[in-house]
Amino acid sequence: MKRFLEVLWLDLKEIPRRPLFWVLLLILAFMAFSLSNGNARIGTGDVRVGGARAFLTSEFAQTQYLMLIVALLYSFFAAIAAGMILIRDEEQKVGPLLHATPLTPGEYVWGKYVAVLLGFCGVLVAHLGITMLFNHAMPHASNQEAIGPLVLANYLKPALLFALPMLVLVTGTSFALGALTRKAALVFVVPIAGLLLGALFLWDWSPVWLPPAVERILQFVDLSGVRWINDTWLEVDRGVAFYNHAPVGLDGLVIAQRFACLALGLGAVGLVHARFPALLRGPKTAKAKQGAQPDVVVADMADAIAPTGAMAAIGMTSRAPGFLRAAWDVARVELRELRSHPGLYLFVPLILVQTLGEVVSTGAFDTPLLLTPGGLAVRQMGALTLLLCMLILFYTTESLQREKSAGIAPLFLAAPIPTAAMLLGKSVANVVVGAVIMLAALLGSIILLLVQGTVPVRLEPFLLLWGVLLVPTFLLWTSFVCATFTVTGSRYATYAIGLAAMAATGWFQFRGKMSWVTNWDLWGTTVWSDISVLELDRIALVLNRALALALAALFFVIAVRFFPRRERDAAQIVHSLSPQRLAGHALRLAPLVLLPLVIATVLAYLVHDGRGGAVNQKKERDYWKKNSATWRDAKLPGLTAVDLDLEVEPRTSEVRSRGTYALVNRTADTLTAIPLTGGRFWKDVRWTVDGDSAQVEDRAGLWVVHPKRPLVPGDSVRVGFAFHGKFPNGVSKNGGTLMEYVLPSGVVLTGFANVGMVPQLGYLAEVGVEEDRNKPDPREYPADWYKRKLAAGSPMFENWITTRLRVTGPADLQHNATGVCESDEVKDGKRTTVWVSDAPVRVFNVVMGRWQVKQRDGAAVYYDGRHPYNVDEMLDALVAARRWYGEWFAPYPYRELRLSEFPGLATYAQGPSTNITFSENIGFLTKSEPKANLAFWVAAHEAAHQWWPLIVMSADGPGGEVLSEGMAHFSTVLLVEKARGLEQRMAFCRQIEDRYGNIRRADGERPLVKMDGQLPLEGRLIYDRGGFVLWMMFRLMGEEAGRAGLRDYIATYRDVTDDRPLLEDLLEVMRRHAPDPVAFDAFTAQWLFDTVVPEFLVDTPSLARSGDAWSTVAKVRNVGRGRVRVVVAAARGERFADPAKLVKSKQPAYADARRVVELGPGEEKAVTIPSTFAPERIVVDPDVEVLMLRRSKAQAPIPAPAGRGGPALAAR
Amino acid sequence: MLRIQGLVKVYPGPITALAGLDLDVPAGMFGLLGPNGAGKSTLMKILAGLLEPTSGAVTLDGEDIVARPERVRERLGYLPQEFGFYPHLSGEQMLLHLLRLKGVEAPGGLKALARDLLERVNLGFAAKRAVKSYSGGMRQRLGVAQAIAGNPRLVIVDEPTAGLDPEERLRFYHLLTELAQERIVLLSTHIVEDVAVLCPRFAVIRGGRLLVTTTPQAARGDLAGTMFEGIAEGAALADLRAQGRVTQSVLVEGVNRVRVHQPEGAPPAGFEAVAPTLEDAYLVLMNESALAGARA
Repeated sequence: MKRFLEVLWLDLKEIPRRPLFWVLLLILAFMAFSLSNGNARIGTGDVRVGGARAFLTSEFAQTQYLMLIVALLYSFFAAIAAGMILIRDEEQKVGPLLHATPLTPGEYVWGKYVAVLLGFCGVLVAHLGITMLFNHAMPHASNQEAIGPLVLANYLKPALLFALPMLVLVTGTSFALGALTRKAALVFVVPIAGLLLGALFLWDWSPVWLPPAVERILQFVDLSGVRWINDTWLEVDRGVAFYNHAPVGLDGLVIAQRFACLALGLGAVGLVHARFPALLRGPKTAKAKQGAQPDVVVADMADAIAPTGAMAAIGMTSRAPGFLRAAWDVARVELRELRSHPGLYLFVPLILVQTLGEVVSTGAFDTPLLLTPGGLAVRQMGALTLLLCMLILFYTTESLQREKSAGIAPLFLAAPIPTAAMLLGKSVANVVVGAVIMLAALLGSIILLLVQGTVPVRLEPFLLLWGVLLVPTFLLWTSFVCATFTVTGSRYATYAIGLAAMAATGWFQFRGKMSWVTNWDLWGTTVWSDISVLELDRIALVLNRALALALAALFFVIAVRFFPRRERDAAQIVHSLSPQRLAGHALRLAPLVLLPLVIATVLAYLVHDGRGGAVNQKKERDYWKKNSATWRDAKLPGLTAVDLDLEVEPRTSEVRSRGTYALVNRTADTLTAIPLTGGRFWKDVRWTVDGDSAQVEDRAGLWVVHPKRPLVPGDSVRVGFAFHGKFPNGVSKNGGTLMEYVLPSGVVLTGFANVGMVPQLGYLAEVGVEEDRNKPDPREYPADWYKRKLAAGSPMFENWITTRLRVTGPADLQHNATGVCESDEVKDGKRTTVWVSDAPVRVFNVVMGRWQVKQRDGAAVYYDGRHPYNVDEMLDALVAARRWYGEWFAPYPYRELRLSEFPGLATYAQGPSTNITFSENIGFLTKSEPKANLAFWVAAHEAAHQWWPLIVMSADGPGGEVLSEGMAHFSTVLLVEKARGLEQRMAFCRQIEDRYGNIRRADGERPLVKMDGQLPLEGRLIYDRGGFVLWMMFRLMGEEAGRAGLRDYIATYRDVTDDRPLLEDLLEVMRRHAPDPVAFDAFTAQWLFDTVVPEFLVDTPSLARSGDAWSTVAKVRNVGRGRVRVVVAAARGERFADPAKLVKSKQPAYADARRVVELGPGEEKAVTIPSTFAPERIVVDPDVEVLMLRRSKAQAPIPAPAGRGGPALAAR
Repeated sequence: MLRIQGLVKVYPGPITALAGLDLDVPAGMFGLLGPNGAGKSTLMKILAGLLEPTSGAVTLDGEDIVARPERVRERLGYLPQEFGFYPHLSGEQMLLHLLRLKGVEAPGGLKALARDLLERVNLGFAAKRAVKSYSGGMRQRLGVAQAIAGNPRLVIVDEPTAGLDPEERLRFYHLLTELAQERIVLLSTHIVEDVAVLCPRFAVIRGGRLLVTTTPQAARGDLAGTMFEGIAEGAALADLRAQGRVTQSVLVEGVNRVRVHQPEGAPPAGFEAVAPTLEDAYLVLMNESALAGARA
């Protein structure tokens, strides 16, 4: 014990001298400070002022935080510290001395291990102390609402239950890896595996169809505990009050998991203990082929003195080898070392696993996407960057350390090879590591594409994204690591600084503080489109990569300059810091500093002046500041007609727009001024009134046009406009998406965006509003708000308008716009089309592309030739929509219904009248399956917008969005069942129900009649809960009554000009048609005026048999809210199984027997279901007709009865 | 000519490893003798361009190699006191690598040269074996092989015979002697016999200072008629030690055979005059400098 304590104490004393621990503590302190300032928030609660907030200081919050921080940060530092212990002793050659004493392997191994574990426990304690200090002793005034009372257990329990076992696991396994392999690079396998498998896969991947048993296995496998807490406690939001005060309840799985962490960690150390004597002794026998080869003994002294001829006869000469030759010689030996290094053989499978995880990527409505080369390449950029930067850090540092560790440094450094050649050779060899990993990822991607089979394999996207874009990142990082090592001279300081740099980068990315100037790793900037290859922000991208290369050169030169080729003398170091010498250094480095400085300056200027930069932000703030008080509620005339002449030059992104608005004063007031919002990129703006030049006031982008005479009610005026500009105007701040643009690959412009091709009527309230500065809480409306006369969400939608659009662009771009095409002329390299609305429309758009087309029955899909996969399904949806929506709701008013594909520079779809637009990754690249025609679903939803809200425009207010997106989802449910059958309808309903369950927040969810999309995630709730509930309401009423109600609603509100409907208006109309108004009221009270949602559990199912009759008994409990009537089925066999497969497998056909039961919140009822077959399971709501939470729990297998006959049915 | 002028090296502490060394080393073999901690290895590292001095100058054939250490590396053969090799490479691969790094060329090609060099150091039989399987002596011989490769103008060997058995030491002496015919070979050692056998001239340093530059013959000659050998035990031996006159004391067959330096007066009773050895001269010098230091 004494010797164990001696080893332990010696290593513990070393800990304060090691930079790793201090750097980790600094990072943790910074994060604790940032969190207490409110720079990161827990995703629950009500963000409105005075709303219930989640406490940072609750046990739940601290548990989540510690789980993440230990897995993502602690683990790397712990792996290095623990993994290198025995390697370091070996390098320092203390082994022969230590192990020649009575020190036993156990005392040595456990003494070393416990010291490092205690060191990290100390860091953890300090971390908790700092966190408590910032949270409770020095809380930030702006974040007081997120700070709860100091409860020590809230900090200690997560630390003991989650952080400590993880630390034991990481330190133990890394210690073992280092001790058993003596390969420094391998100690990072554990944290890297944890990061790749956890953060990029296990924590998030939870598709609807995952069986519960597999779900539990994955929870156990994720040893960080993140998946467990997400699935068990966070998936279904329980409200802020719960999370703020309740302890984190543990179950058997997580307790076993924590013990497993301890066992694995300590077991790994135990393995080292067991193997240590063998490690000291070396292998028992030499390899057979080597045999025992004694040194040659010189038989004759004469031979010893003069064994060979004179050395001069050899004719040796020497000179300094050439630069490239020397670099190659160094690289060759490094590569030989890498070849035998097991690291590559471990990291390659990790990246392959991560690549294979891409097979489950999702798109719109969480529908899976077809894998494409570009999509795979861009999605893996983040993981590749992360993994390769980690590997570069470790391999480069170890490579630079190698000569010192092997003892060859005096010989190596005394050789006449240039230092730059030495560093270059090592860097080249480490680049090979990166290349192997990228090849592995490429191979994995190709395998995925080949297995999928639909999309052809192309290498260009990989070469472009991984080669051209990522390689500068890796060169920069490599040279940074080299420079850090040479300046610090310490392997551990290099690791600490490298990890700190990565953590800082991640933090600033997370906080949205990055820009093109600082985003050295290109995280989150790149959007892939097969149609528009890196067109967006191209200049910024090129400059960013040039900056990376310039900085790489600078760091490389610093590395060469300061490489410790010769041990520096302390006095000389002091002399070299004299101003004169410093100036000399600076002058020598100046050219290399100048280039990145110039590039960074240019880039910063472009960002500053670009569309996401400070200039634009100021314009928007000025717009808001100058106009929000004056023009927010201004009365506006109605738009009745648009005549537009639009000319675009995609090569330069130039837009020229000239047009006229016909406006009518439909208000009760006389209007003397008409405000119109222009785009920030507009230049040379000119206005006319009734054809004459107009007197116009420019109020920071809000143009106030004064008619020649005041516009009395009923009066009309024509306002003309003309401008030109570049769009997109400049680069973004940090990459990302863009919804409208004029680019060589395509043009997307709408008549209702705040930047676009035409002015917007009125003041736009969302412009210049910033989340943390001046965004108000969502408006609160009185209960009778819907009874007032309400306007539409945008004045541009208020009225039916006729449109005439004359569009000119390059000849090779086809056009699609609102209305029908009256003419299409190509002349002098330009194409001009004229589009006229064949019936009044609400909104209009213009889109250009290079398409092929499929059309049928008044519908057409215009698609890029590279994306033909789902065109037939989408066309089917359009045709079905025209027919069935037309029959159920109102006839489609237009001659054509078109759907056009545009480059996926943003992922969205829009449904302006007659001309729906889809980005390429909506629908076109959706991965449809025979049992889930997802492309059909998406197209059906967008087609429904032709009715909702384009035929019946809803009001701006609570529930208004439900009448658009909710109705579109509801319509999709109907159409899917009609056109694709019950199975697909059920699949769609399960999909939207699952999404709803995942995103709803118990405290933040408002009733559908109150939802206006202003709260976080409310937009998606409107889709999913809105759609499902409206469909439930429709079923409650019955098809005939339901359709009659909808037609009545359309007839009532279709042509109103001053009283737009909200959700209550729809309900009023529908109620008139409800066969059972009382039931209707009860339904709407729960589902639309409240936020109830049931959750069912099935308990103790049992089965009894009497002859050929079976009886299933089970208890069904509603652990959610709401009183519902729900079907409970006892079922057998696979539903919707392929009949041919059934016959082949001789499985019984599906059968079920049903009962209906009504359950209120907390109620439980016993259900008895007789059947003529032996059921296998109880399923609540087998046809997915009731919206519920955690549907997977609402079923249970029925145990087989005991014996052949089973218990007899009780006599009735 | 290797010229060292006023060379000072102070490590943080402060620890003065070299306290102003002046030395001229002509072509041929030159020994550097001194006890452990004298500053020999520090001097060797500075000359090899691996350590920056605090002050002073070193020129090799007129070129300043402190200011431009890369110039000495082109003309250097260096065998440090402590070194290692990449464990997974074979001896031949390791040597080839170092030959390439040193820019060595040979008419028969580098591989043939590597084999020849390995034969010369008696490692031909182990050329294909991984270095990690080499014994300490084999590693030392491999180090010797790379040090003598090329056509170095300056060869620095620091404690080169450590780990070598007698046959290998003889072989090494032969190699070094052959090398020294046309270049400067600086042999740093605390083994007096190496200097006695190999070096026509040598210097003795202690405590970072140069004590003397001389030849073995002159060093022995200075002690002519002053060395005596006899048997002394117990108090007599202690008394002789206290006077600082004992240069060696070896237990042979149970008795202490003692050599004493008696510059004046009669030798101890029973002691006979013997011819002085270089070791005697070295030990007398060490004693005298120690006494001088104590008096200072």
